[in-house]
Amino acid sequence: MAAPMVHFYFQLIAFAFLHQCAGTSPEEFFKSGHTNNWAVLVDTSRFWFNYRHVANVLSIYRSCKRLGIPDSRIILMVADDMACNPRNPRPATVFNNANNQINVYGDDVEVDYRGYEVTVENFIRVLTGRLPPSTPRSKRLLSDEHSNVLVYMTGHGGDGFLKFQDAEEISNVELADAFEQMWQKRRYHEVFFMIDTCQAESMFQKFYSPNILAVASSKVGEDSLSHHVDPSIGVYVIDRYTYYALEFLETVTPGSKKTMGQFLEVCPKYQCISTVAKRTDLFRRDVNKVLLTDFFGSVRNVELLPDSIHLQNATLHTHSEDSSYVKSDKPLNYAQQFPMPV
Amino acid sequence: MPGEEASEEKDKSIQHTAALSFGFICLIIGIPLWWKTTEVYRVNLPYSDIADLWNTKFQFTIDIDVVNLEKSWTDKDLTDLSKLLKANLADDRKVGAIFPKYRVAVRQAAEKQSSDVTSLKTLAALDEYFHGEESSVNKYLIVLMPVNNAVVKQTTIGNYRAVYLPAGKRDLKTVSSEVTEILHSVLVREDALLKSFQNFLGAREPKDKASMRSLSYHQGYDILFTLVNPQPDILDIDWSIKEAVEAYLSPMVKQLSDYINLDIKSQMLFFTGLRRKPHKDKKNSGFYYEETDLPHTINPLEANLGSHASNNPMLNFIVYVPSRDQHPLHIVLKNGEKVKTNSFLSPQWGGIVVQNLPSPPPNSSLPVRVTVDMKTVMEVFLTQLRLLMDFNIQVKKDLQVREVGNDVIREWELDNWLRKKCLENLATSISTLQSLTALLEGISNIVIQDDIGQQVENAVTGIKEAHRHLSSGQIARAFTQSRKALASSEKAFFDPSLLELLYFPEDQKFAIYIPLFLPIGLPILGSLFKAIKWIKTKRKQKPKTE
Repeated sequence: MAAPMVHFYFQLIAFAFLHQCAGTSPEEFFKSGHTNNWAVLVDTSRFWFNYRHVANVLSIYRSCKRLGIPDSRIILMVADDMACNPRNPRPATVFNNANNQINVYGDDVEVDYRGYEVTVENFIRVLTGRLPPSTPRSKRLLSDEHSNVLVYMTGHGGDGFLKFQDAEEISNVELADAFEQMWQKRRYHEVFFMIDTCQAESMFQKFYSPNILAVASSKVGEDSLSHHVDPSIGVYVIDRYTYYALEFLETVTPGSKKTMGQFLEVCPKYQCISTVAKRTDLFRRDVNKVLLTDFFGSVRNVELLPDSIHLQNATLHTHSEDSSYVKSDKPLNYAQQFPMPV
Repeated sequence: MPGEEASEEKDKSIQHTAALSFGFICLIIGIPLWWKTTEVYRVNLPYSDIADLWNTKFQFTIDIDVVNLEKSWTDKDLTDLSKLLKANLADDRKVGAIFPKYRVAVRQAAEKQSSDVTSLKTLAALDEYFHGEESSVNKYLIVLMPVNNAVVKQTTIGNYRAVYLPAGKRDLKTVSSEVTEILHSVLVREDALLKSFQNFLGAREPKDKASMRSLSYHQGYDILFTLVNPQPDILDIDWSIKEAVEAYLSPMVKQLSDYINLDIKSQMLFFTGLRRKPHKDKKNSGFYYEETDLPHTINPLEANLGSHASNNPMLNFIVYVPSRDQHPLHIVLKNGEKVKTNSFLSPQWGGIVVQNLPSPPPNSSLPVRVTVDMKTVMEVFLTQLRLLMDFNIQVKKDLQVREVGNDVIREWELDNWLRKKCLENLATSISTLQSLTALLEGISNIVIQDDIGQQVENAVTGIKEAHRHLSSGQIARAFTQSRKALASSEKAFFDPSLLELLYFPEDQKFAIYIPLFLPIGLPILGSLFKAIKWIKTKRKQKPKTE
């Protein structure tokens, strides 16, 4: 007898709650809470034997571009130049596979921070927005409170730090503070933090800002391993976690309905050897209902325009010949560049 | 031997005096000196002012003038109406962080006005008449029309600042409640203002379409008009965009020039298109996109739109002329009906309109020259611009609003925008200053230089000035002050020098100072203690010997 009464009260409460927080129909909200996507992709290692880190970050870059994020909203930081390295037997190419199937460097890559510009200071400045006024637009993270930001980092790391350029480190406390400053200044809607280094889990342990979803390739105390070596160049070409993550991403199309929950399950222990760690407690939504394209792609909200305003026909004043095109009658010739001896 | 003892005593006293003097210098001079020189330089910021601003309730004032043209209403009726209106508007339903104050004045119209009004035959003429006479920024005119007026049959809102109410047969109570309703839902919209104010102060609530669609305020926007022609070898398209922008858009740009800077550019793109394949319409020969296809058409296009040099947000308006194999192309609703304007917009980004220009007949010489009808295109773009820049206000169906025409923005819409943006700027400035304070408290290593202190002071002064202007009803001045306050607070927060001292975290400070101070500190402290003990024993000895 109690059950129907409980059910009735539950319905009443549910109805009252819905009524109170509604007053607006579902059509009044857009399907997703973000309007644009940004990606910050960082590779922190230099030297030829860290080829795989550059291949990692370029592969993620390629996936992001393929799924729709334009170059103007990707900040790519590559600490060393592998494509034009004198030891590269195939110059201007970077491959992530020994079979050389895809040239991830391509001919339309746009690297925003290269070589010595990839430092901890620049990285923190990009995230917090405190760049000097002379910084060009392509080097700025101009995200706002409706942006979903994908942050991918790869390189050599340890317990609580990530090594930049073999000379300095960023600690997990600094990274957590940087994200908190982003949150305070409303510079993101949601962040997906992906890191592929040794003991990567330690880098996201100190996060305390809301709306961050994080995944790391290894737990504290474990090393992330590389996948395979390319015998023709003699270095490892890709890391395990990124290799299997890419395998998953290759099956995703811009309109795909695959979820972040599926992506977080990529690379189980028998494939990755290290344990993939994730952090979902700061993330408000259920990961199994979040689309992969919310972070990796750029699916925009659209609104159809049912009606428009009506204008009166205004006379268009046609401009006479544009005054900047001044046609000259004199024939043109080159100025004397090399004064010849008389 | 007493001589040796005496000299030993003298040596000891010299040693201990030396130790005491070292200890004295170290403790009294050295430690404060070290503390002062390693202190992080911080200018005094007005922390108490910032905390006060967080709790300030902002008042904004609105002037209402009610003019009565209905002859059957006496002065006593008008006094009653005034009392009713004041009572209705003064009810503080929610005294939130911002609250309105209304100044109401009710009066009879002059004889000349009544006779003039009866001779006016169109709504446009009526609007022009009252625009010239009485309205000014932030002051609204409610005209109670006589019962037999031919022009105004139901409540109509004009394009300037006048509202025409057919008062006629209605009683005072209905008129007063109608006026209150119009003020609350159209002209002033306190609820929307309060919600957006709280949102910008920090409450992160899920946003509805209207607030997610529009760009937040910046010093300027870049507007880019693009014509996309996938087959320029077949269609040579002429669009007189420069003239169209001058004819249709410049009045609006000029109207807004005091408040926001609009930088307009145009370009043409060839050999690129909406890469998503449209569905083939089986009934008619044509192609169509459904709403779910549209999000994927924007990205491939955006990659080709080109980057721009300023840091201002960009609004893209694209005219797409379909290629011959996709002609004619329509956008359809879920029920299969064609969208009348054949266009769509993406919030915070811009809009796309598909123009189906006539395909060249089979034997014509290519390329065929065609012209884009700039009027229809600009109609769509201006509607989208109104939506994207947050000028558009949804009005309930029982209120009639005069068609806006070539003015593009109605004056009361501009007032609403100024008020909203002013309050949003104030909220953003206050929350920025608050975040800056929280940041400084949380991270002790951040240096605050003099110029940043100056910016913070400017921001606080700007906010207070803006509040003063808002309370006196001058929203244009309040807006300018709020814009300055926003710029100052953003500059202070985002200054490049605010990056905290890296590599000097609290827990590692010990590791840095110990190797410097410990080797010297231990001997000094040790000898200091010994010296003090010696002095104490000497003092104990002295009374004993005497």
